[in-house]
Amino acid sequence: MVVMTENQYAIETISLTKIFPDWWGRSKVIAVEDLNLKIKPNEIYGFLGPNGSGKTTTLKMLLNLLHPTKGAAFVMGGSISNPKISARVGYLPEDSYLYKYLTARETLEFYGRIFGLPNDVRKARIETLLEMVGLAGMGNRPIGTFSKGMARRIGLAQALINDPDLLILDEPTSGMDPMGTRQMKDLFVELVKRGKTILLCSHLLADVEDVCDRIGILYGGKMQIEGTVKELLLQKEETQIRVAKLSEQSLQKMKEIAASEGKTLGIENPMDKLESFFVKIVTHARQQKRRTSGADAGTGISGFLADKPVVREETILDKLVSANIQAEPEAEVSVDVTQTETPRSKPVDADNQLLQKLSQRTVESTPINPAAANNKSSPVKEEKPEVKKDVLNELIGKKDDGQTEITHPEKNQEEE
Amino acid sequence: MNNLILFVLFCLIASLLYLFMTWLTGLVLGLGSSGIVAVAKVTFSHAIRMKIAVVVLLLLIVLLPLMSMIIDGDGTLVGKLQTFSSYGLGLVGFLLSILTIAISCFTLSNDLKRNHIYLTVTKPIRRFELVFGKLLGTVLLNLILLTLFGSILYGGILLIPLISDAPHSETARAKHEFFTARIGLKPELDMETLSQKARERFEALKTKKQLPEGMSVSRVMAELHSEEVMKAKSVAPGRQKVWEFENVRIKNPQDPNTVIFIRYKYQTSVEPSDGQVFGQWRIGDLRQYDAGGMTTQIYGIDRQEATRTVHEFAVPADAVTSDGYLAVAFRNDPGLNRTVIIPEDVEVLYRTGTFTGNYFRVIVLIFVQLIFLSILGIALTTFLSFPIAILFSVSVFFVGLINFFIIDAIEALGKTMFIVYNFIIKPILWFLPHFDQMYQPGWYIVDGKTLEWTFLFSTIGTTLCIKGLLLLLAGMFIFSRREVAKAVV
Repeated sequence: MVVMTENQYAIETISLTKIFPDWWGRSKVIAVEDLNLKIKPNEIYGFLGPNGSGKTTTLKMLLNLLHPTKGAAFVMGGSISNPKISARVGYLPEDSYLYKYLTARETLEFYGRIFGLPNDVRKARIETLLEMVGLAGMGNRPIGTFSKGMARRIGLAQALINDPDLLILDEPTSGMDPMGTRQMKDLFVELVKRGKTILLCSHLLADVEDVCDRIGILYGGKMQIEGTVKELLLQKEETQIRVAKLSEQSLQKMKEIAASEGKTLGIENPMDKLESFFVKIVTHARQQKRRTSGADAGTGISGFLADKPVVREETILDKLVSANIQAEPEAEVSVDVTQTETPRSKPVDADNQLLQKLSQRTVESTPINPAAANNKSSPVKEEKPEVKKDVLNELIGKKDDGQTEITHPEKNQEEE
Repeated sequence: MNNLILFVLFCLIASLLYLFMTWLTGLVLGLGSSGIVAVAKVTFSHAIRMKIAVVVLLLLIVLLPLMSMIIDGDGTLVGKLQTFSSYGLGLVGFLLSILTIAISCFTLSNDLKRNHIYLTVTKPIRRFELVFGKLLGTVLLNLILLTLFGSILYGGILLIPLISDAPHSETARAKHEFFTARIGLKPELDMETLSQKARERFEALKTKKQLPEGMSVSRVMAELHSEEVMKAKSVAPGRQKVWEFENVRIKNPQDPNTVIFIRYKYQTSVEPSDGQVFGQWRIGDLRQYDAGGMTTQIYGIDRQEATRTVHEFAVPADAVTSDGYLAVAFRNDPGLNRTVIIPEDVEVLYRTGTFTGNYFRVIVLIFVQLIFLSILGIALTTFLSFPIAILFSVSVFFVGLINFFIIDAIEALGKTMFIVYNFIIKPILWFLPHFDQMYQPGWYIVDGKTLEWTFLFSTIGTTLCIKGLLLLLAGMFIFSRREVAKAVV
């Protein structure tokens, strides 16, 4: 915490350089060159670049898996080899790298214990996380029998088990089905809302575009461009208007207006994205309770992760629309840090009374989520509460712990 | 039929024991919440779930009880016990050593190779703690497997007298010679005096110009020396030889049931036609003959025995004086023998403890060896890949098995290449572990010899606290410094 306030960046690299010598130590490959990365607390930073551009190498240096040839990398103002710092970081590598012979539950148990979580807290969190990533029924299956996407979900669960302040995610959605990808992205947004910082490293541009505040594009180990998604992607030359289905006459009028300014107006019906379409179909199948041996629907953010004050009232989309982008991050961070430390000092209290607290929080946070839903214009997001209602029905029928959905308070209260 | 039932029973008990112990270990490891224990638990579970452990398990579970039925030794009960225990302990020690090498080399290198390490080292656990956790897991596995097979072997050894219908005399002999823990005292030849004598003879020959032609000086010296040694050892017909022992510390020497044992083997200059010689032994404080007056007993044993096999007889312990002095005399009766007799490996043995206690210490000795191998494997894989580390470990293990032989074999180098030998080869050989001679389990159990606690502790001290610790610290240091990720661009 002290370190955090001294240093304003969640991640900072100073002139970070990594040069790999070849086998003979002769001709050299420059993987990362003179990288100055500054990621503020409580933002989602998208780290982009083609294969071999040095993204993963940078992450490895941040995580002390590789030593920089030159320069320095700071995480939370220090080195990750300091247990005080690594206790606050969650990391999901590009491949899950989990022990295949351990079951999902044992895996989380293992990492939970490395984090030194007390038994009861650990147990509660493991159940919450398994529910959250949609693998509740598969907790006792060895990871070796999981598909890549399912292993990925466990990978994410282990990165979240310590309730980290900083998440470093390398290709988090690789191998995930579109449902999972969507849930993961929603989760990231929710986490950042609750004061966490995420470094998202990906070459799946759609993922990054949907959730990131700022992006940096790396090529050949050098940062090519860096900025907010809005700055970089805004097409200043065009205007898009979205309305419900209009009559022919109105359309004609609009065309005339456009023509009066000497512009042509293109009119077409919007298409569903394939992602949205897929989500719809699978949701439908789930409602009919088709049996599957694969991953179940996750429950979105829940349990100890949801048990946090929302420090970023506006959603990502709000931010994209609003002009004033980084209004209050530093002030908020100190609040966030004290909040994250509290459950660690009396964790039993925090996790055992999860449900109670959650229901209180739910009321507090009620205004936020409808707002978020309203701002999301795509048809899928309109439909999302439906999905979760269904999942909740299934879950609450069987369980009475903290797996309630924060985005859907009415349902929660009904059941209680 | 009886044996079959016993065998099945054995396997059943062994399996139950195994399951119970793995369960218990899992439970115990599940209690702690420290990172080291978590790593140890994962390492342990991995090894348990690896097929190599199962293979060794099956191999031992099948081989051990089977051996108790098949192996006969020289046909006597003691022979059976000796063969079974020496093969059994040897097999357990060897297979567990190989298993330990494999697992300890595998566990960390596999984490590095498959990048499991990325997830572990980025969490709040120090790298040296990780190495230590790995070691702890491997050592726990060793402990369980060793306890398991040690118990099976122990059960087997105790069962052998019960299932073999040996006569009472053999059972009694087994009790005295096998199911015991005895300390053996061996007289040492005064090599200094013998060398001196050889030198004098050499000088004498030289002055008389009788040195054989065409022989190097060192060869003549060597021959003279061995002649002197032979002279000192051999007993011509009509002659007598006395060995003196001091510090024979016997518990309850006045107890009529306490006995001491004299063990020896005959060599002869000319093999008698029936292969038998007569020996007249006197045991006690022989100084009393000259001084006059008898305070302690002197026992006489006369027997006719085969040459070239080890024999043993017992006399009451009150032959030893109160200050721990004992003399053993052998007389070659010219009326009965016509050949020079060389009684070799004369040894006085006396009981110091129980077989069970001794067996336990022997198992601890094996455990020390396994811990060292675990440290070696893990320390090596902090910077070496699996195949190289396992090759290295296996080499070290085999050198350890013949370490004394190597030292003996290259002792001669000490004279010609003093610096190389003393400052390079000797330290290396010292640093390599010793698994042979008095460091191997069979050395004690087969002859019912006491493995003393002092020796055990000094072995633990040198093998683990010095060599092991140095290796471990080096491994931890290297692992803390190295890059654990591969260079991928």
